[in-house]
Amino acid sequence: MNKQSLLLHNNKIIIFTTTTILFLLFVLPVVMLIPIKMVPANDQPGYGDMGRVSVYGLRQFTQEFLSTDTNLMAIGTTIKNPNLKNKKIIKFNLYDEKNNLIREVKLNGFNIGDGDFVKFVFEPVPDSSQKKYNFTISSPEAGEEEILELFLIGPTDTVLDYSYDDETKLGGIPMVTFHKPDSRWETVKLVYLNLFSKLLSLDSRRI
Amino acid sequence: MKNKINLLILAVVLRLLVSGLLFHPDIKTIAFQTSFLKQGVVNIYPYLINNRASLPLKEEFVYFPLTYFTLGGYQAVISTFLGSNFDKWLQDAGANSVVNNPKVIFYLILLKLPLLLVDFAVAFILLKLFKDKKEGEQAFTLWLFNPFTIILIYAFSNIDLYAVLLTLIAFLYIRREKLLIASVFIGLAVSFKLYALLFVPFLFLKAKNTKEKILSVIIPISIFMITIIPFLSPSFVNSALLSGLSTRIFGPSFTIGFGESIVMGLFLMTALFFGGFVNDRKVHLFNYLVSILLIIFSFSHFHISWLLWIAPFLAILVVKRPVLSVPIFFWAVFAMAVPLFYSDRSMTISLFRIYTTWYDMLPTPFLVIQKFYDPFVFQSMLHSVLAGISVVIAYKINKNE
Repeated sequence: MNKQSLLLHNNKIIIFTTTTILFLLFVLPVVMLIPIKMVPANDQPGYGDMGRVSVYGLRQFTQEFLSTDTNLMAIGTTIKNPNLKNKKIIKFNLYDEKNNLIREVKLNGFNIGDGDFVKFVFEPVPDSSQKKYNFTISSPEAGEEEILELFLIGPTDTVLDYSYDDETKLGGIPMVTFHKPDSRWETVKLVYLNLFSKLLSLDSRRI
Repeated sequence: MKNKINLLILAVVLRLLVSGLLFHPDIKTIAFQTSFLKQGVVNIYPYLINNRASLPLKEEFVYFPLTYFTLGGYQAVISTFLGSNFDKWLQDAGANSVVNNPKVIFYLILLKLPLLLVDFAVAFILLKLFKDKKEGEQAFTLWLFNPFTIILIYAFSNIDLYAVLLTLIAFLYIRREKLLIASVFIGLAVSFKLYALLFVPFLFLKAKNTKEKILSVIIPISIFMITIIPFLSPSFVNSALLSGLSTRIFGPSFTIGFGESIVMGLFLMTALFFGGFVNDRKVHLFNYLVSILLIIFSFSHFHISWLLWIAPFLAILVVKRPVLSVPIFFWAVFAMAVPLFYSDRSMTISLFRIYTTWYDMLPTPFLVIQKFYDPFVFQSMLHSVLAGISVVIAYKINKNE
């Protein structure tokens, strides 16, 4: 290989490598955001030693919470399905502040593993920002041997209070609300703002 | 000259970007484990097991003592720069809080800096390996500017790079007909990563006389033993010595009945060794080293970080045998693709968690394939193509050379 063709060859691999790395770091993350149809408003709160409640038959669980963003479109929480015995319908009903049923979701216990993070997805609720809602989780056809268990936590800024077995207490389940982004561009902007805030932190440390 | 400096700066910038923006959880686990050196813990293996209940991260230290002292020593030196919150970050077991820490990019870059130095050292060794200056420069450029090694080293925080550098230095001394010095470096490489032990039988083949043959085996094994004997204990054996390496390399086999089976990797390596012993009057060690690694990648469920073991040798091959550059490029593409389809989030989606944890909602490539096709069959197809290309490369380099 003569000097000129060697230089050309080297230039090609330099351009290929630089393009590939920049694509990986700055284009692929944007492409990966496209399939994301909803974003969580918060991290799931820690849970573990605050106890659990069982849901079956007439024993349903009611949770009051605050939606911090618009376009509420899913509620996620961890559900135990001991020995995967519950294969019955699981009903999720969402109520507004005036206790009107606004969304209804049905899942099958067959699809829920023991300790799965389960999302109840529904049509987005517009103007849901800073509004209180209630939801119920029940499995009316399940018997005592087919219970589902929900973890309990103390109250947070968004998890307000819960009702179970005719009692209402502060706190509830370690839940996450999911919201439909206003636009794809908004999602990309949020992600890159998050990244740049970390990069600026790097810069200030260096200075 | 200015152009060369600009290229070196570009190479550094690309590496720093990948270092800071892509996160594989292993780097934090290893940094947490090796942080105990600055607290005076010398034998990390029983320490982690005995204190498991009170430690936030429960994993055992699976690397050898030399890795512990190298990384722990580095961390002790830079602890002033890392700041007081670094240890809190190491102790943090929260999946989200770890990547949402505002200093995470700074920590990652600083923790990966030794890799940058070793990476450049590999490039300079490659430059020195060639008698022809142009070929050396081509290998140097190829090493610094290929996306495969940049991702393998900096995205996956690949500490196998230390063993790779030592293996390459050993190869440099083999080229200079200094086999015993090469044996020392192979011994040091084995003390970082066991895979280098696979090269020892071929040092034996290369040795000219009985004394050199014996020493070429005894030196690396002695160095390895010296570095591990002070730490020999059930916890060390279980954590570090019985690693996935032996089980993965010697796992694939075919049964010959009555409970017996032929282990593919061992079978081919033995054939390679005795083939060389019987036929090859002038032993071409390079060909054996590449062939043995091709066997490993063709017939084992390899970890993506292992691909670095063969990377400098493939860079040499591309330069020396341009006809192989296309097969080697596709070999690298398929070799990187196979582990990306393992059912392991940290191989793909999770690497980008510094950007946002929203990516946790995305399915892995394994799950995406599962919607259309059996992902294990798909993986097998990719691996079979890899094995096919390996056969061609191995045949081409060993044919009448």
